Amino acid sequence: MRRLIVIASALLLLTLLGIAWWESRRVKPVALIPTITGQVEYCLTCHADIAQISKSHPVQTFGCVLCHGGEPLALTDDLAHSTLRGGKNPSDFSVVQASCSGDKCHSGTAETYSNHIQRATTSIQATYAGAIASILYTFGAQPDLTAHYGITAVEDPLSTSGITELQAFDPMAQTNPFIKLFGQNCLTCHLSAQPIDGQVYTRFTGCAACHTPTQTAEATQTTEIHKLTTAISYTQCDTCHNRGNYDLRTMTFVPRQDTPTDRLHNYYQPIAQFTKCEYTLDCVDCHTRTEAMGDGSLYSNKLDIQYIQCKTCHGTLIALPQTRTLTDPNDLVFRLAQLNPVVNLQLGDTILVTEKSEPLWNTRVMPDGTYELVGEATGQLFGFKPVMGSGCQQDPNDQSSAACHQCHSVQR
Amino acid sequence: MRPSFYDHLHPPTIPAPQARFRYTLAAGGLAVFFMLVLLVTGVLEMFYYIPTPEQAGASIQTLTFLVPYGGLVRNLHYWSAQLLIVVVVLHLLRVIFTGAYISPRRFNYLLGMSLLVICLLMDFTGYILRWDQGIHWALVTSTNLIKSIPLIGSGLYTILVGGSQPGSATLIRFYGWHIFGLTLVAGVVLVWHLFRIRRDGGIAVPPPLKRESLDRISRYELVRREVLAILLASIALLLLAVFVPAPLAPPITEASSNYATAHAPWFFLWIQEMLKQGNPFLWGVVVPLVVIAAMTLIPYIFPKPTKDELGKWFPHSNRLAQIFFILILLVIGILTIVDLLPAS
Repeated sequence: MRRLIVIASALLLLTLLGIAWWESRRVKPVALIPTITGQVEYCLTCHADIAQISKSHPVQTFGCVLCHGGEPLALTDDLAHSTLRGGKNPSDFSVVQASCSGDKCHSGTAETYSNHIQRATTSIQATYAGAIASILYTFGAQPDLTAHYGITAVEDPLSTSGITELQAFDPMAQTNPFIKLFGQNCLTCHLSAQPIDGQVYTRFTGCAACHTPTQTAEATQTTEIHKLTTAISYTQCDTCHNRGNYDLRTMTFVPRQDTPTDRLHNYYQPIAQFTKCEYTLDCVDCHTRTEAMGDGSLYSNKLDIQYIQCKTCHGTLIALPQTRTLTDPNDLVFRLAQLNPVVNLQLGDTILVTEKSEPLWNTRVMPDGTYELVGEATGQLFGFKPVMGSGCQQDPNDQSSAACHQCHSVQR
Repeated sequence: MRPSFYDHLHPPTIPAPQARFRYTLAAGGLAVFFMLVLLVTGVLEMFYYIPTPEQAGASIQTLTFLVPYGGLVRNLHYWSAQLLIVVVVLHLLRVIFTGAYISPRRFNYLLGMSLLVICLLMDFTGYILRWDQGIHWALVTSTNLIKSIPLIGSGLYTILVGGSQPGSATLIRFYGWHIFGLTLVAGVVLVWHLFRIRRDGGIAVPPPLKRESLDRISRYELVRREVLAILLASIALLLLAVFVPAPLAPPITEASSNYATAHAPWFFLWIQEMLKQGNPFLWGVVVPLVVIAAMTLIPYIFPKPTKDELGKWFPHSNRLAQIFFILILLVIGILTIVDLLPAS
């Protein structure tokens, strides 16, 4: 018995020593107290290698939990991640209101332009209302092209477009088999849809669909992309907008077969005629924030919100493009230029503005009357001139881009 | 040599055949050991645990992940509590399967049964103190079961929950019961139980003429055996605590009412399975109480074991009680397994 006790004591001692050794090898917790929340979190214990998501979201200020959720004190994989919002993507529209700080940061502010959540979730890219209305009209399920349905039910009591609400579209509730097929096969490119398989289609959902670059050389080599940017390359837009076509006869998606390697051949397929500046620039260089993210109202068709034409920057034979001289240091353009510092705007600079007075913050009117534009994604400098004073022979009554393309187009 | 305090707690000698591990299973002694471990680790946990709905989950996470050896202390507390249930039931099984409950030990059998019930209540209140999504379903279901009792149900519910639904008043009441109310009762009944062992003449043995052997071991040998059992149990406990962490889920929040992991603690899974039959009062209150009552009444309603057959396993004279008890354990075991099977 005494010998057994000695052996058992030795075993217990060994166990205790083993536990002390085990405990000494444990990773030392790394605390972070973000200034906004003031609540300690230990995510950096394991995630110290993740790059800061953007200059405007410094980790010392925001931390991780404010956007991502999760258990701030937990140090085991399962528990720490059990309450993450939206999995790895807190900007998914199902959770964006909580993640992007609801009424504090990206919605509920006095400045309409900052209500990004309300704008993006009612935008045509999120509701897909135009495509749904078009299909319902085409197959006789509604008498006109007015939108009644969106991907999810959404309301906008203050709508200026006349549409104050959209009901959730349920294709299975429809009797027409084509509309059901549309629901099954064609709802893959709105902002809440998971992308179809394939690297060229890879993107996140919600805000990150556009603002997290998944198509850069760096991004394609990793599965962990922790970045938000307003310098959005055309390749990101291409994950939805330029990847193939929907065949309405079979209601299936037909991916494009070519694999273009240069900008000219990669340019937006549905447009047959276009100019050099269009394929040299990125989509966001011309298309404005309102066109992409909406203005907060619900619309029936993308054409109701899309308005940029060649004349926005180039003017017409009888009118110069609209401009604005920067006199207010709080002007939105300075914030936009700070987010993506490809230009160094100063008070007193004159920039181009759109017909709806949206600032084209990456442009500048030069003293000699010409204009400059810096590519938002490329940083490339472009100089251009107004139409006025040129030898342009365009019909003054037809100032659409299509009319410009009669003369100004390149061959693909 | 004059015995030390610890030695002195033991009788000078006890009969050798009944002092073997294979006879006692060391179950009663280990139950006392686990209770002491629970007391020590529980006191340590009290330095960090904050009994409010907002802070409970965070304070347990702090203890588990950030306090040096805090996770080990919590895991030791958890595993001691689980093993306590196991050894207490083993102890009960030994007592019934050796017929040791007959007079003069009938009263101590009742004290032992009440300790079993107290252990279950301690385990359950401790489980609730986690106040995380893993216990939410059990909290809501168990308190609603109280409400289902006719006449006194709603009154009992108010006393237990402290409001119309579980909240901060509930947590502080469960905390109060766990660390003070039940602990105090358990302490008193435990000392009484141990005292009655000595008062009733020590471990049950047959009359001297019927014994196979009259050998006795000294209190020093008994203490050595206890020490060996404690050493082995400590190793098992430490290994379990290191390699199988106590469960922990995200804290209960207003948004987390979907009971993602809806289950009772393992020792009440059989009741959860019965509740699927409907009628919560019958299956959740009456039947469990009848089971406890039936086990308590075993010394009174079944043919008694003869004194000649004491001190050995499986006496012929109380076969019926043995069969009855094993049937209860079987049914509880089967219900538990069925509940654990994935729903078809």
